[in-house]
Amino acid sequence: MANSQPLFTAVSSSARQLILLLRCISFAKKVQVRISLDGLHFTTDQGSVMEAFVVLEKALFTSYTYNHPAPPSSQDDPLPQPVFEVSLSSLLETLSIFSLYDPATIKRPSGDPSFDAFGAHRLHRHAGFDPFSARSLGMTGTCTFTYDGDGSPLRIHMAESGVTTSCDLTTYEAASTDPIPFRRDALALKTIMRSTYLLDAIVELASLTPTELTINAFPQSRRQHGTSALSISASGALGSVSVSFSAPSSPSNGAATTADPPILETFQCHNSTRARFSFSALQAAQRAMGAATKVSLRIDEAGVLSLQFLVEIEPVSNAGGALSIGNEKVAFVDFRVVSLVDDEYAEEEDSGGSSTADD
Amino acid sequence: MTVLSFSLTPDATGRMYELLVCLAKFGDSVSLEARSEKASPLTITALNLSRTAYASFALDAKTFFISYDFQATSSLKNGDRFTCQLLNKALQSVFKSRANEGRSRESTVERCDVSIQDQPDKTECRLIVKMLCKHGLTKTYRLTYESVEVMHALFDKSAATQGWRISARVLREYVEFFGPKTEQLDLLAQDGKAIFTSFTEKIQDGKEVLKHPLETAITIHVEDFEEFHMQENMHIVVSVKDFKAIVAHAETMRGSISAQFSFPNRPLQFSYQNSGIYCEFTLMTDDVRGATSTANAKFVSTRSSSRQPSVVPVHSFNRTYSEMPPPARPPMNQSFGSQRQSHSLGSQNRQNSMAESDPDPESLFVSGGEDDSRWDPPALDNDDGEDMLGWDSNYENPGASFHPQLEDREPVAPAEPSLQQTGTQATEGLEPTQRLSQLHGMFD
Repeated sequence: MANSQPLFTAVSSSARQLILLLRCISFAKKVQVRISLDGLHFTTDQGSVMEAFVVLEKALFTSYTYNHPAPPSSQDDPLPQPVFEVSLSSLLETLSIFSLYDPATIKRPSGDPSFDAFGAHRLHRHAGFDPFSARSLGMTGTCTFTYDGDGSPLRIHMAESGVTTSCDLTTYEAASTDPIPFRRDALALKTIMRSTYLLDAIVELASLTPTELTINAFPQSRRQHGTSALSISASGALGSVSVSFSAPSSPSNGAATTADPPILETFQCHNSTRARFSFSALQAAQRAMGAATKVSLRIDEAGVLSLQFLVEIEPVSNAGGALSIGNEKVAFVDFRVVSLVDDEYAEEEDSGGSSTADD
Repeated sequence: MTVLSFSLTPDATGRMYELLVCLAKFGDSVSLEARSEKASPLTITALNLSRTAYASFALDAKTFFISYDFQATSSLKNGDRFTCQLLNKALQSVFKSRANEGRSRESTVERCDVSIQDQPDKTECRLIVKMLCKHGLTKTYRLTYESVEVMHALFDKSAATQGWRISARVLREYVEFFGPKTEQLDLLAQDGKAIFTSFTEKIQDGKEVLKHPLETAITIHVEDFEEFHMQENMHIVVSVKDFKAIVAHAETMRGSISAQFSFPNRPLQFSYQNSGIYCEFTLMTDDVRGATSTANAKFVSTRSSSRQPSVVPVHSFNRTYSEMPPPARPPMNQSFGSQRQSHSLGSQNRQNSMAESDPDPESLFVSGGEDDSRWDPPALDNDDGEDMLGWDSNYENPGASFHPQLEDREPVAPAEPSLQQTGTQATEGLEPTQRLSQLHGMFD
């Protein structure tokens, strides 16, 4: 590999898009990065109970070059894709170095004296600008990722209006973890809703500082009159909270007015399902819930929870400022959580569980 | 079995949160008292740890609730009342999300159903709050509660002949100026003006200054009050924190706030009402700076009559324990937060009334006598309208036993606040119940 031709180069015209997506999974210290022909795969995990991944697709970048090294001979298996780990907080900090106005920005190191002067300069220059305009959010800047294979750092080069920042992030050897298996073909529950509803439910539950949370779902056939379809509940020292949703197009729910759109846009459940999860795992997904517009919540028959968040990415502003709606891109952020082993967990429990869920 | 169930409108749900926020400034826990009477069947109260401040919100059955149902049954200990206590934090988290609807406007509450399941024979006794939102979203909270007897501060309105009333919004604007670190508030009437002084007294430990003195005085002309009647040069001192909490909440209720009081070291009551909520705050006052002579008392007043009316006529409070006859004064050395001796204050009051030669009924009762029966467990005679912060029940709040002032004065048996209040003999310890000579038989 010649120096002139690095293994991987990608240029993005909006670091903000990347930050938006990467923040969704920023609950861990390190993030595993895998480079493929389709895009950059970022994975974080919490123990082996939960993992989250996001793909920065090729389309998000203005230019994306990955020179996949050819195997020595055509008979050999193709070489594995490059995988490494970097510090997630450092990565986010690097990417957000130009977006001074973002309150969610992770704390910057105070030891860098040049930073303040630079920030002051930026503030001064943008005085009078709308702080939320694309320009002052640093979206006019570009960032370039370069990676040159095992052992070399991930180099990020940020440029905006003649000011450039280069950052070399130390890469670590990736710990080989198998992804949490999720059986898409054996789903016990599938539902789609706006992610703000899920966020709202998690926030409600968080007020009791519970350790675990229970998801109950009841199929249409076994539901009694007025019973909700899905309920998320938790209990703490002060009591218990349960947030329940009624099923779409169910004539029997009295509280919902039929004219309103249902909360559960899709609800598929054939058998009563009940699963418990670590509450901290769901809390880790809070940021994704806030960023996303919709969430697909699925539980497979083994009790693995999959949360797939649809995040709408604001289009890169052009010079003219005119944005076409058709321009909007979407990205997906995935969370997978293994359910807690419940001694009582059995199919027979389901009928007993239904009585607790209608309140 | 559902003891109590009621429903709230979204607006009332928000008001509930506001009053909980206000109550949180007084204590960590709130007490609920449900009664079957028609006027104001539900009262939510809080009492601070040092028992110098008491806040009470009585909710009106017709205006505040959509529906209110209370099943008075024989299973209740108190007959026709249901009382319980729960953590304010827990209740606040139930109602909090309704306050900031901006976050998720879709899940706006349409109705809030509250019910209390009280089953003496079962374990699941819960306060159940059901938030019914749009689109069939339901949030159910089951909160644990503690079944305790609730204490109410007793305030004798007929003895509190002085007072003022002012728009809460106006007062709120002035309150903003009080220094954030000041602790006490001095109310004073002088030269046709009301002077509110917030201050902190200097506390020094050797060379180290623990608290820096600070004073902020605000002078409001009596004309700015809707009504004003207060003895000139009399200092009444309350806690700034309590005052701020009250005024902040009063402002949200958009009305006028009234204060009623008699003399320093006697309770003071703030009250206001709107949208079916009757708010009353009874605070113990102090006269730390009250070195002024009250020998020839003049009154700063907007009242037309030169003679002081014996009963404050302007406030119409349809509360239960307001129309009580003034009883004999309890011993003053039992007062909360007060280091004054009973005889000094008693004589001062006598002096006041005599100097004024007013047929004030209060003077009849200033006996200063040590009438211990006043301190019997007050639950027995609920209508005992003391002029102090008295309590209508044995309130076994464990936290209250750490009240330093009580401990300072009465080091014996600090874990039993009721005992401290009920008997002066607490300081003397228990009387021997047996002669020593009678014990011989056991060892012979």
